[in-house]
Amino acid sequence: MGFLDVLLGRRKLAGPAPDRLFAISTAYVTFETSLGIETRGVAAIVFQPLATADFESIVKEMEEVVEATATDSGTKVESSDDSYGFRWLLLRGTSFDDLVVGINAVSSALEGSGYGERVLCAVFAFEDQHKRPLYWIYNYKRGAFYPFVPAGGEQQRDTEREFVLKAQIGAELPIEQELERWFPLWGIPI
Amino acid sequence: MLLTLFLLGLVYAVLVGVLIAAGTGAITVAVIAGALFLVQFFTSDKIALYSMGAHVVTPQEAPELHQVIDRLCVQANLPKPRVAVAQTPMPNAFAVGRSPKTATVCATSGLLALLSPGELEAVLAHELTHVQNRDVLVMTIASFFASVASFIVQMGFWFGGAFGGDNDDNGPGFIVVLLVSAVVYMVSFVLLQALSRYREFAADRGSAIITGRPSALISALYKISGNMQQVPQRDLRAASGELAAFYIFPPAVKKTVSSLFSTHPPLEARVAALQRLEAQLQGTAR
Repeated sequence: MGFLDVLLGRRKLAGPAPDRLFAISTAYVTFETSLGIETRGVAAIVFQPLATADFESIVKEMEEVVEATATDSGTKVESSDDSYGFRWLLLRGTSFDDLVVGINAVSSALEGSGYGERVLCAVFAFEDQHKRPLYWIYNYKRGAFYPFVPAGGEQQRDTEREFVLKAQIGAELPIEQELERWFPLWGIPI
Repeated sequence: MLLTLFLLGLVYAVLVGVLIAAGTGAITVAVIAGALFLVQFFTSDKIALYSMGAHVVTPQEAPELHQVIDRLCVQANLPKPRVAVAQTPMPNAFAVGRSPKTATVCATSGLLALLSPGELEAVLAHELTHVQNRDVLVMTIASFFASVASFIVQMGFWFGGAFGGDNDDNGPGFIVVLLVSAVVYMVSFVLLQALSRYREFAADRGSAIITGRPSALISALYKISGNMQQVPQRDLRAASGELAAFYIFPPAVKKTVSSLFSTHPPLEARVAALQRLEAQLQGTAR
């Protein structure tokens, strides 16, 4: 967003920054070995669908492609819409690396067809040694991860554990430095 | 409140200046100053508690609060202080008392309602560290020395002028004494605020060591400062429309001058220090 864009009020949605997504594959090694955090075998990519026929056909094509590659690796694909009007594409599989690759395939497909700005984030579901759920959310527009730990109760989050997770993973993941952008996702379906 | 504190102290310094300039002997002034100091020393606890509307609570009246403090005292190896609660919705906690044996720790009802148990523990550990470090005593003595310094400078100006030559003209001398005592007071005020900020960092560190959970204190500080929008509640999907367009970084708050006068370090500095502690704890500090 240049100065002129600000002056003239031009809005340009930022495209996704997919290159840093794969950092979570390498970070997962640390999760498993030293932190006792395991994947729950499900990841999702969240995007904003357009009500155009073109977009719908692109999404259909992409789902078919992902299903085709996914069945080789044993990953299952399903999609659902949420109350905010966003679509969730869920990938379920046993291999974490395959999940990351699948998520990347979806975002590349959307970007390739010109709908990159519609992609909101990717969510990876984990659980710690005490079987408590925790999520790492990758914000495509910022190119950074942040932790999200829902606590018991309506729209509650355990910020203390989120800070601990941030300290634990150190510099291995590109983590969102601005705390104002650690937006929660209430009612995560994974 | 800061302005009030400053002006109160200024009045005190000017009063001593006036007494000296009016010709009361040095001994009388010293006795008056000493008496005022002793009164402050012995009754400031009660005055502070009274002004906040705090009432001491028994274990039956506030069982969870007492339990948390009991556990912390065992861990910190401190005698248990008196526990008080102030009925006000403003979340806050403070400790008064010259020594661990005569200390009182107070939490407001707003704080008890706002924080989760882990965060409350972290905040109370911060206050207990103040008690353990005898911060009230340290600040009282430091401010006493500042008053003594101001007193000496005024004496120097008054009697130095007498030895130097003519002390006929009382007019300018009087004003100079007042000015000097005011200036010395202002300088010592700024230095005392710096000392207070250092003690706050030390108390944060102490809390992290006692509880072993620096992140609980970080989360408590954010909640108390009313800055909960730092870690947002808004869903990402609700916020995504506006954010996607511009990345205006929040303007760096211009706090350079006011930061000289604040008793507490800025929230960001305290959080950064606590995050370093957490990283050290987790073994990921570089």
